Amino acid sequence: MTRLCLTALKRLSVLSLTAVALAGTLVTTSAAADEWQPTRPVSYIAPANPGGGWDTLIRTTANVIRKEGLADQNFAAINIPGGGGAVAWAQIARDSRNDHMLFAASPPIILVPLAGTSRFNHRDFQPVARLITDYSIVLVKADSPYQTANELFEAIRENPGLSVAGGSAAGSMDHISIAGAAAAYGLNAASVNYIAFSGGGEAMTALLGGHVAAVITGAGEASSQLQGGQLRALAVSSPERIAGSLEHVPTYLEQDIDYTFDIWRGIMAPKDMSPAAVSYYENLYQRMMETDSWKEATARLGWLDAYQTSDEFGEFLDAQLEQFSSVLSDLGMLR
Amino acid sequence: MDAFTSLLYGFSIALEPINLFYVFIGVFAGTIIGMLPGLGPISALALMIPITFGMAPSSGLILMAGVYYGAIFGGSTSSILLNAPGVAGTVATSFDGYPMAQQGKAGKALAIAAYASFIGGTVSIIGLMLIAPALSKVAVSFGPAEYFALMILGLTAVVSLSDKSLVKGLMAAVFGMMVSIMGMDLQTGTERYTFGTIELLDGIDFLIVALGIFALAEVFYMLLKGGRQNTSQRNVIGSLRLTRSEVKEMAAPVGRSSVLGFFTGVLPGAGATIGSFLGYSLEKRIAKDADTFGKGNIKGVAAPEAANNAACGGSFVPLLTLGVPGSGTTAVLLGALLVMGVTPGPMLMEQRPDVFWGVIASMYIGNLFLLVLNLPLIPLIAKVLDTPRPILLALILIFCMVGVFGLNFSRYDLLFLLGFGLIGLAMRLYGFPAAPLILGMILGALMEESMRRALQISGGDWGVFIDKPISLTLLLLAALSLGLPLIKRAFKWGKTRRLSQQP
Amino acid sequence: MTRLHANQTLGLILALFSLGYLWMAFAIPSFPLPRPVDSDAFPKALGLSFFVLSVFLFFERPETPPATDKVAFEGTWWQRPTMQVIATSLAIIVYAFALQPLGFVVASVALGFGLSCLYGYQRWVVSMIVSFSVVVSLYLTMTKALGIYLPTGILPF
Repeated sequence: MTRLCLTALKRLSVLSLTAVALAGTLVTTSAAADEWQPTRPVSYIAPANPGGGWDTLIRTTANVIRKEGLADQNFAAINIPGGGGAVAWAQIARDSRNDHMLFAASPPIILVPLAGTSRFNHRDFQPVARLITDYSIVLVKADSPYQTANELFEAIRENPGLSVAGGSAAGSMDHISIAGAAAAYGLNAASVNYIAFSGGGEAMTALLGGHVAAVITGAGEASSQLQGGQLRALAVSSPERIAGSLEHVPTYLEQDIDYTFDIWRGIMAPKDMSPAAVSYYENLYQRMMETDSWKEATARLGWLDAYQTSDEFGEFLDAQLEQFSSVLSDLGMLR
Repeated sequence: MDAFTSLLYGFSIALEPINLFYVFIGVFAGTIIGMLPGLGPISALALMIPITFGMAPSSGLILMAGVYYGAIFGGSTSSILLNAPGVAGTVATSFDGYPMAQQGKAGKALAIAAYASFIGGTVSIIGLMLIAPALSKVAVSFGPAEYFALMILGLTAVVSLSDKSLVKGLMAAVFGMMVSIMGMDLQTGTERYTFGTIELLDGIDFLIVALGIFALAEVFYMLLKGGRQNTSQRNVIGSLRLTRSEVKEMAAPVGRSSVLGFFTGVLPGAGATIGSFLGYSLEKRIAKDADTFGKGNIKGVAAPEAANNAACGGSFVPLLTLGVPGSGTTAVLLGALLVMGVTPGPMLMEQRPDVFWGVIASMYIGNLFLLVLNLPLIPLIAKVLDTPRPILLALILIFCMVGVFGLNFSRYDLLFLLGFGLIGLAMRLYGFPAAPLILGMILGALMEESMRRALQISGGDWGVFIDKPISLTLLLLAALSLGLPLIKRAFKWGKTRRLSQQP
Repeated sequence: MTRLHANQTLGLILALFSLGYLWMAFAIPSFPLPRPVDSDAFPKALGLSFFVLSVFLFFERPETPPATDKVAFEGTWWQRPTMQVIATSLAIIVYAFALQPLGFVVASVALGFGLSCLYGYQRWVVSMIVSFSVVVSLYLTMTKALGIYLPTGILPF
């Protein structure tokens, strides 16, 4: 029953929003009328189960696109979980000419193939647009002796047993992020004693209980933890300080560690999608990110806009590949 | 009486008509989701996040929490009626619930499950209300070493779960652990037993194994044994009423399991499934009539049901007081709260008392709703058993397949389900117990992970497991629980039978 | 009796399984960084325990031989109990592969209808109605209420 009244409510708001948006979008769509348009619903794939980062990106963008009436066709969210994304990538790669298929991507599309568990890497797909980013953040307990990232790394140099926990497997995002920072500081990347937990929450509990010395996690996730006053953030991997509740957290760069790390999220497509379709979607996302619904959603989810066009995104991905493979080879984990 | 005034404030929020409505919808949807085998609360909650966007945070959490505990409440139904666990936490309920249904006591089993769930849920809310902040210290005091010791303690239950042959029970447990470690190893990223396929990288989902070993194997077994029986055979639902002696018999197990389940739920990573197994095996171990467990003992239904509902409430402790999710489901709840602009954590009680106390108060109401909703429905739901057998078997199969497919949308999962169904059938035919396999599956990977984490933190020093008081205590308890049956036997040989009841 | 009893046969088969498992455990690559306990340790321990247990099983006296209460059986060969298990297994395999091309609704209704016929239910109309209504209501719950995508296949929705 709630469903009913909720959808009714939603309909209402959609109606009013589209009415407002209509005037704006009419101009743009008519200008692009002779160009490529989707002719059937777009398969909009999250290579993971409902609830994760990719899924949230897919469902949120699909909602905004529908709400703002940016596309004539529906963007149908489909979950293809498994293998940290590898199952979905294999399916998408098989359908390489599909103009009606998009999927969410983030660093694992580079890391998972490097670790040898996916045959397909980012070069087997067509970048469409980078949308948002998050950064990683190093936390210690409030009563920890370490005040800065330098102190932490110095302590690791003296005692390589010092444990740093993260919420993902060895060789994946959290591990690469802290090992890369250590390497930038001048340590051997392999000297970080990284302890893998099966989720950021469990890693955080271990830190609160004093079982590990530090935790590496996403800045968005951590902002809630920091408010409690039980934890202290040593460094964030962004190029500049993040506005808002994390404003007081210094970057690595400020602490003379030449290091940034993006937890970016973007949209990619099958490799041989027609250029016209790619530029259609590229423009679509650019317009989407200017809408109010999008701004409202990012504010709520703590996302930071980081739009890149298809070409920029492709170059960025190649640079990421280099960064990650150098860290992984320092760790001896390159396969 | 600060907690009392706060609770009154909570009720003033929970009793607002719109919130009452959300509680009702939440527990109702939860019950339905829980009843469908395989479809767990996680995906339901994840998909509800967009719906809660516009709501007040307290209303949103009230709704979502209702779905969560409603699903655990409703999960017992399909465990009892079809031997097909609705959610992972209710696997243990099928051990005795399904035999009861087979004996024509489905109504009673469902009623017991409902009462026990209600009590377990209520106990956990009281715990949550009174000692949540203090308990959050317990939750964080469990590091890898302590988890390892807890898993060892849990594994000692294999002894009591294997009925005739200990060797076969142990083999089943080891096999369960073998299944649990398939996939990518978290500590090193190494693939183990994936046979080079990406489909096995994440291992095999627990529910696939449980549905295969229990529901599918049961269908196969009925086909084998029953042959092509006449379709006129009807099952009896039986009365819902409990006798006074039955109530008396269950009171203590329900109480113990509620407390045990609550504490298990408080620990991140442990949760309802482990709680229900611990409750079940504890009761079996200390019962006088241990040999009737697994054959329709009412305590075997009451204990796991009280425990899993209590654990569900317990899992809100780390979520609300630390801002740390203890399970996949609470992780989704945390995500939803963040989206609504509420940051759970130590400050929640002060900053957003409406959320904290509103949800707690709503849980009292929700539990009451669940009881009132479920009891009259029992005769209706149990009518499922009236379905002609060929159709019932076909429907059980469809429900299992849909549930399993809905987990990962992978056809390979359906093949794994079949594989475990056949393994389960073979185990039945050759006298291997299924419960230890499930226990090994739940605890195996957790045990290995926490052991390796602890050793990596300690730099390879095995002393961590006995240096820490909690871990040492748990290991001693494990040793004791292995030794207890021997001591018990010695006492029995002595003379009095009364001594042997002592735990 | 020269024939092996049930536990001996089982023990042998399971011992073979454990050897295969151990062989795979030894093939697990070691991690480049030093780990106190590497990925292969636990599988090796499990494989070894399983092997030892199967040896124990070999020497354990079987309990009362598995009840062989053969149900008096009448009917054609495909109605034999064993055949029914095999047929059900095959049906599941076919279903797994037909789900994508045929779509959820068609494949599941066919499965439900087919199996209940196989199990000897003769009121086809009833079984068709039941299969159809259960499957469609499941489909609608999953796709419409929960927003989970299920393969549509040959049907337009």
